[in-house]
Amino acid sequence: MPMGHTATDQAGTGGLTATEHRLANGLRVVLSEDHLTPVAAVCLWYDVGSRHEVKGRTGLAHLFEHLMFQGSGQVKGNGHFELVQGAGGSLNGTTSFERTNYFETMPTHQLELALWLEADRMGSLLAALDDESMENQRDVVKNERRQRYDNVPYGTAFEKLTALAYPEGHPYHHTPIGSMADLDAATLEDARAFFRTYYAPNNAVLSVVGDIDPEQTLAWVEKYFGSIPSHDGKPAPRDGSLPEIIGEQLREVVEEEVPARALMAAYRLPHDGTHEADAADLALTVLGGGESSRLYNRLVRRDRTAVAAGFGLLRLAGAPSLGWLDVKTSGDVEVPVIEAAIDEELARFAAEGPTAEEMERAQAQLEREWLDRLGTVAGRADELCRYAVLFGDPQLALTAVQRVLEVSAEDVQAVAAAKLRPDNRAVLVYEPTAPAEIADSAEDAADDPESAATVEATDENEEAAK
Amino acid sequence: MTELATMEFHPQPQAGEPKVWAFPAPERGTLDNGLTLLRCHRPGQQVVAVEVLLDAPLDAEPAGLDGVATIMARAFSEGTDKHSAEEFAAELERCGATLDAHADHPGVRLSLEVPASRLAKALGLLADALRAPAFADSEVERLVRNRLDEIPHELANPSRRAAKELSRELFPADARMSRPRQGTEETVENIDSAAVRAFYEKHVRPATATAVVVGDLTDIDLDALLGDTLGSWTGSTAQPRPVPPVTADDTGRVVIVDRPGAVQTQLLIGRIGADRHARVWPAQVLGTYCLGGTLTSRLDRVLREEKGYTYGVRSFGQVLRSAPDGSGAAMLAISGSVDTPNTGPALDDLWKVLRTLAEGGLTDAERDVAVQNLVGVAPLKYETAAAVASTLADQVEQHLPDDYQATLYQQLAATGTVEATAAVVNAFPVDRLVTILVGDAAAIKEPVEALGIGEVKVVTAE
Repeated sequence: MPMGHTATDQAGTGGLTATEHRLANGLRVVLSEDHLTPVAAVCLWYDVGSRHEVKGRTGLAHLFEHLMFQGSGQVKGNGHFELVQGAGGSLNGTTSFERTNYFETMPTHQLELALWLEADRMGSLLAALDDESMENQRDVVKNERRQRYDNVPYGTAFEKLTALAYPEGHPYHHTPIGSMADLDAATLEDARAFFRTYYAPNNAVLSVVGDIDPEQTLAWVEKYFGSIPSHDGKPAPRDGSLPEIIGEQLREVVEEEVPARALMAAYRLPHDGTHEADAADLALTVLGGGESSRLYNRLVRRDRTAVAAGFGLLRLAGAPSLGWLDVKTSGDVEVPVIEAAIDEELARFAAEGPTAEEMERAQAQLEREWLDRLGTVAGRADELCRYAVLFGDPQLALTAVQRVLEVSAEDVQAVAAAKLRPDNRAVLVYEPTAPAEIADSAEDAADDPESAATVEATDENEEAAK
Repeated sequence: MTELATMEFHPQPQAGEPKVWAFPAPERGTLDNGLTLLRCHRPGQQVVAVEVLLDAPLDAEPAGLDGVATIMARAFSEGTDKHSAEEFAAELERCGATLDAHADHPGVRLSLEVPASRLAKALGLLADALRAPAFADSEVERLVRNRLDEIPHELANPSRRAAKELSRELFPADARMSRPRQGTEETVENIDSAAVRAFYEKHVRPATATAVVVGDLTDIDLDALLGDTLGSWTGSTAQPRPVPPVTADDTGRVVIVDRPGAVQTQLLIGRIGADRHARVWPAQVLGTYCLGGTLTSRLDRVLREEKGYTYGVRSFGQVLRSAPDGSGAAMLAISGSVDTPNTGPALDDLWKVLRTLAEGGLTDAERDVAVQNLVGVAPLKYETAAAVASTLADQVEQHLPDDYQATLYQQLAATGTVEATAAVVNAFPVDRLVTILVGDAAAIKEPVEALGIGEVKVVTAE
């Protein structure tokens, strides 16, 4: 039965509210009403990701995510896709280091179908899982790996940097896509055991956002999910804690057939959910977000040594976050020239901190990103799940932007001084094996045809976690 | 051991009563300077989207200066009469805004997104960019160098490399469409600030431009705001440019762009066909969805979900350029990537899917599911202001009426299985498809030749 019903409308939530409930089997439920558009988003986060995988079985969480679309107790074959799409909905699933999510956005009047489908696979996936779908999806995932990582220039950079930044044996040492050898090695029994271990109502959070009647929605949730037995026995993930800073500069030089030299780096940053992580986000935005950032102005505009230069933040809750630097060199420029300029900029930033104008710009950019995230029912549903699963409180999603706006310039400077230093990074340098020659008639299609390859693009994506 | 779960099963629920939703109707007007304006209030959408269309198509670029429209588009955000390039970027970001600009066959398009609370400031910057761009020598020179640096990255990307080759194969060599949208090394290096300014002066003026503003406009006096910003942009009047006809050679053939050692083959199989002005368009959308719109469509049902050759193959129709008289064209194509050893078998299956479709047609069930999806997803597809603005701008760019999208949904719902079959079979005739394969020629040439889908030519990658 539902219990622990709360409703809040705190300051700084932009008028958004969410209520929380828990079924007797442990399933946490978050509801948020919004009647502007006749749609409803269903989002289900399972508290399992690639960090739970064991040696020799990397990629299993993501391969398993694919299997969740291969039918369940009452749903045949590709029925999860067929039924949702046939109802005018869209759906997908993604896997990251820390969680696996499944989501549907439905026209309001089809909401109940999405709940029925999610409950069916949570409670009865193994009734449908067989060798045929295992073998087929193993091949699909291996082709996903080839397409997204192995067959594109710099495609494995993130994997290499992650492996450098998190030591051997650390749960985040490998990325969610996994290795080809481990994908080959996974067995049907591995998949079954994975389901039995991690796919339980008490290891999940369900959010429903949009044009909903909360009472009716909760009754449906209770009807479809309420009888799914909970079970314990999920092993705690391996410890992801690491020293505050790396302590030395790690470095790998990759000689590969790539079009230009590149300098990439991963800095060890504070855990997601902390004030310091928000400060780091602002620091990276001032230094490397957009086209008015310090690194863009220095490398692309003034020195003209780079084609592109930017910083990104991979927020992680169970291990230090990663600040991700990506610079592609211009013409024949050599990496040390770029590296010296970056070190100079980072040192100056650590010494002086951001200007008031830089703070204003960075906060405005992050605020817009939050408005974008929370501006769709699907984005809001995902954020509610994220804060519920990782931090135990979905309400934190609604006040996240407020927290970013409250960070001071001093805090930004402090985190930059403490973390953005050479002895706290893993560096990846690309040196092209054959000097990239430019063809006489180079064409570019401004639009990648694949991006238009869709009236509605819906397939399962493994999250690049970037 | 069976794995019958202990949960209590319930029958599949029935749908509730659908709610009415219609694609939003914009309000159309004209500013005193001749700028066409479409506006649309979307309650709750706090990030406002503004699209500006300029009648500066790629075929207007002077000979030998392919890419000048792209450099101009990028130079709009590199300084004005009030701000240097760095200041302009900083001011935009201070509004929490993003401004993208790109040049394509129909014209140049600027896309602004900004929180409603800072719309006034951002519109001012956008107006400055259009009214008084600096086009400083040094900034244009930097953009040119930057563009030259980008080219090798694009050529190394299999899907972009395939798109380049398909354009070269399909269109006559003297047609702008046969050449890279953003220019080649040869043409881009000839571009300087004088060329950019000349292109701007010849083709950019409010009288031939359109602005689309979509978002939560509560408490915003848009007329006053526009009067102070885009309304202050002046320029001469001009006749719209005539649209050149689009022709293509779709003789069935195969071009392999050789990438020795590639673990996958990128496929791009295409030709040209009807655009949105054609009566057949709704049926073509429907049929193309049934062929390859999603992973339960015919192509992925075999290539992905049965054989595991690919992460996904999609078929699509993408308008290249439209004309008021309906003589425009769309690219009709199938794209995806398959692992190298299975390239021959995958193409064999792909052609079998097309032949089976031509012989047996679509089923009513397939048609029904496609209609339910294409029409049903509309409210969620158009939840954001940016999505609505983009479609309204597409309509203007393609010389379609403002209620086109709304009408399209009615037409899709009224399209039958027979029409959808005929449209997709005509769109993808098995002997009139140009196939581009970016992959390891040594491994794939022989098996592809054996398929008999056309003469096979190998070109070396850059």
